[in-house]
Amino acid sequence: MQYNGGSIVAMVGKNCVAIASDLRLGNQALTIATDFEKVFPITDRIYLGMAGLATDVLTLRERFRFRVNMYSIKEEREIEPKTLAQLVSSTLYERRFGPYFIEPIIAGLTDSSKGSQPFIASADLIGCLNFAKDFVVVGTAEDKLLGVAEGLWEPDLEPEDLFETISQTLLNAVDRDAFSGWGAVVHVITPDKVITRTLKGRMD
Amino acid sequence: MDSSNIYKKSGFDFSNQIRNNFLAAKGVPVPKATSTGTTIVGCLFKDGIVLGADTRATAGEIIADKNCEKVVNPSCCGAGTAADTEFTTALISSNLELHSLSTGRKPRVVTAMTMLKQMLFQYQGHIGAALVLGGVDVTGPHLFTIHPHGSTDKLPYVTMGSGSLAAMAVFEAGWKAGMERQEAIDLVSAAISAGIFNDLGSGSNVDVCVITKERTDMLRNYIKPNERVTKERHYKFTRGTTAYQSENIRKYIVDESITYLTGSATTATTAEEAMDVS
Amino acid sequence: MNTLVSRFTSSSSTELKALDSRDPDYGENEASDITWGSLGGFGNLGLNGIPSFNIPTVPDPTAFLRLHTDDAADSSCRIKIQHGTTTLAFRFQGGVIVAVDSRATAGSYIASGTVKKVIEINPHLLGTMAGGAADCQFWETYLGSQCRIYELRNRERISVAAASKYLSNLVYSYKGMGLSMGTMICGWDKTGPAIFYVDSDGTRLKGDVFSVGSGSTFAYGVLDQGYRWDLTDEEAQELGRRSIYAAGHRDAFSGNTCNLYHVKEDGWKFIGNYDITKLHYEGSQGAAYGYDQRTQ
Repeated sequence: MQYNGGSIVAMVGKNCVAIASDLRLGNQALTIATDFEKVFPITDRIYLGMAGLATDVLTLRERFRFRVNMYSIKEEREIEPKTLAQLVSSTLYERRFGPYFIEPIIAGLTDSSKGSQPFIASADLIGCLNFAKDFVVVGTAEDKLLGVAEGLWEPDLEPEDLFETISQTLLNAVDRDAFSGWGAVVHVITPDKVITRTLKGRMD
Repeated sequence: MDSSNIYKKSGFDFSNQIRNNFLAAKGVPVPKATSTGTTIVGCLFKDGIVLGADTRATAGEIIADKNCEKVVNPSCCGAGTAADTEFTTALISSNLELHSLSTGRKPRVVTAMTMLKQMLFQYQGHIGAALVLGGVDVTGPHLFTIHPHGSTDKLPYVTMGSGSLAAMAVFEAGWKAGMERQEAIDLVSAAISAGIFNDLGSGSNVDVCVITKERTDMLRNYIKPNERVTKERHYKFTRGTTAYQSENIRKYIVDESITYLTGSATTATTAEEAMDVS
Repeated sequence: MNTLVSRFTSSSSTELKALDSRDPDYGENEASDITWGSLGGFGNLGLNGIPSFNIPTVPDPTAFLRLHTDDAADSSCRIKIQHGTTTLAFRFQGGVIVAVDSRATAGSYIASGTVKKVIEINPHLLGTMAGGAADCQFWETYLGSQCRIYELRNRERISVAAASKYLSNLVYSYKGMGLSMGTMICGWDKTGPAIFYVDSDGTRLKGDVFSVGSGSTFAYGVLDQGYRWDLTDEEAQELGRRSIYAAGHRDAFSGNTCNLYHVKEDGWKFIGNYDITKLHYEGSQGAAYGYDQRTQ
């Protein structure tokens, strides 16, 4: 986790979800890049974030892309967030005794034809799922994020308010973590659009 | 590898082990797996079994989940490495289903217990699942504890996890044979409460599960003694607080506009502008 | 009675004590150099010498300390000593520039972003802080009082060389006992601007350009590239700032703000405190330092 650094947070709002990550890629104390995204779109309305060892983040991004594609070909429909969560979980547990060093976060909206509910989940490195109703955090600033989010989050935030809350949570938490920061990116997912913003964060 | 299961053996994949050992030797700290430093209990009553669990999941010294479900399967509570309890019970319950399909009988509690202990023993404690297994079958109600190394116990009232001492104290003082349903539920919740309040690894709410011959009732969050008080004021930020450098909006509602090839040009230009989403 | 001693003894009570024949220690002290000679007459300052410390009552105190403070060997160790820093100093035509960051970390946690890593030893001497914060703070303040005593004795300011040698001798006497400091003693004396690097191993080096701490490699990169002897004051200050920015940007354990000092013939002057993120986006006088700000 601390080898490359990085942190991710996801929050539920009113009929929307947000997922945000920092942009640092490090090699221990050395900052190698400040444009390393850790959150990837899986479908139009589901985003998957992975914090941890960068090599595994890239490997798993491709593995999940492959498995989600196989799913949609076989099932002839888009994957649901909770199905993706199970897919991620079992992929990680398969390596129970030689794990990938990543912690994933899933944020998305459920099928709009059935009401489009917000969904977030996180897992540990061997795939133990945590379905939360408020927020989930992973990464080197996990403990700091948990504290800030616990204070700032509130239910039923509108997309624009959720953007402010998740941005301030991430920005202020990573400012106290040596291995995270160097800019941030936020995705706010609503039923009819996804707003992606690159934040102006501390660069040290 | 993923394309077909024909070429891939089922079970665990150890291919990252060498790399991970190398990283560990280099001094890179390994992330902690979520564990349920838990209180889980079960007790016998007149018509069956009552299982109980707290709802705290921990990762080191931080609380990973304040309201997790440790009654992983309507007949089983798990303590220890959270992922292990989850996947082990899921695997066994699926095998049990296949077993009952092939034998044409309803599965028995001892069968589940034997399958679990055989699996756990095979892995020599590396699968960190500590379970309380309870159920009612054709031979009557049964209650077992299964330890990560594969040893089992059959008792009228059992506790497991870091809060097991606190919970067992309650059972030792209050359990009696042939209790009524409500009496048993109350005793189980008292035992879990003892764990929640006296053990640091356990906390939050009480989950109860009542199993009788006829039915299984899952009483999720039966008692919530640690509810967070609602904030009296909120910390909403005024919109525009966060400075951002760039913005990209992916719109899923398509703005359709019709350009009349023979019509007037003025309508066409306004429609074109609406298309620009970035 | 030694007239020289009485003339230079500021405290009359110590003089009385030293000469009091009813004092049971009188006979013993008569011959010792604490009472007489070049070191005589400094009361309990001279008597006690360097203050001593309480040492844990275990067979091997050094191993004990290392066991509980060595973060690299065991990340779950109990006491995390502040480390991870960037400090630099360089000598040029216009004096000495001293620039430092202000971040203090304990493991991955940023414990503070407003640490003063330049220790103002006296109006002509500056010390920088890298390694154990308490070690640097204590011993450099102590060095300050010793430099004052030197001044009173010799009626002239201590040279940078002498002050740094005093410190290096002092830390050398504690070698292997767990002191951790990497410092630069900077000042202006009869010889002009001077910098000495002193660390807790006992190393003492004279030089023109130094940088110490986890971010020093990044700072050296900028520093070496831009360094000339005939830098103007403004150019030199900008070089110091730019070097600390580079370290703050690339090193996880350095950052937050940059403190800049300029030592001239008439003593040091505090130039300013600069937010490193602000330097990234806006720069200090117009042009932003940030790579993407310059290239986009």
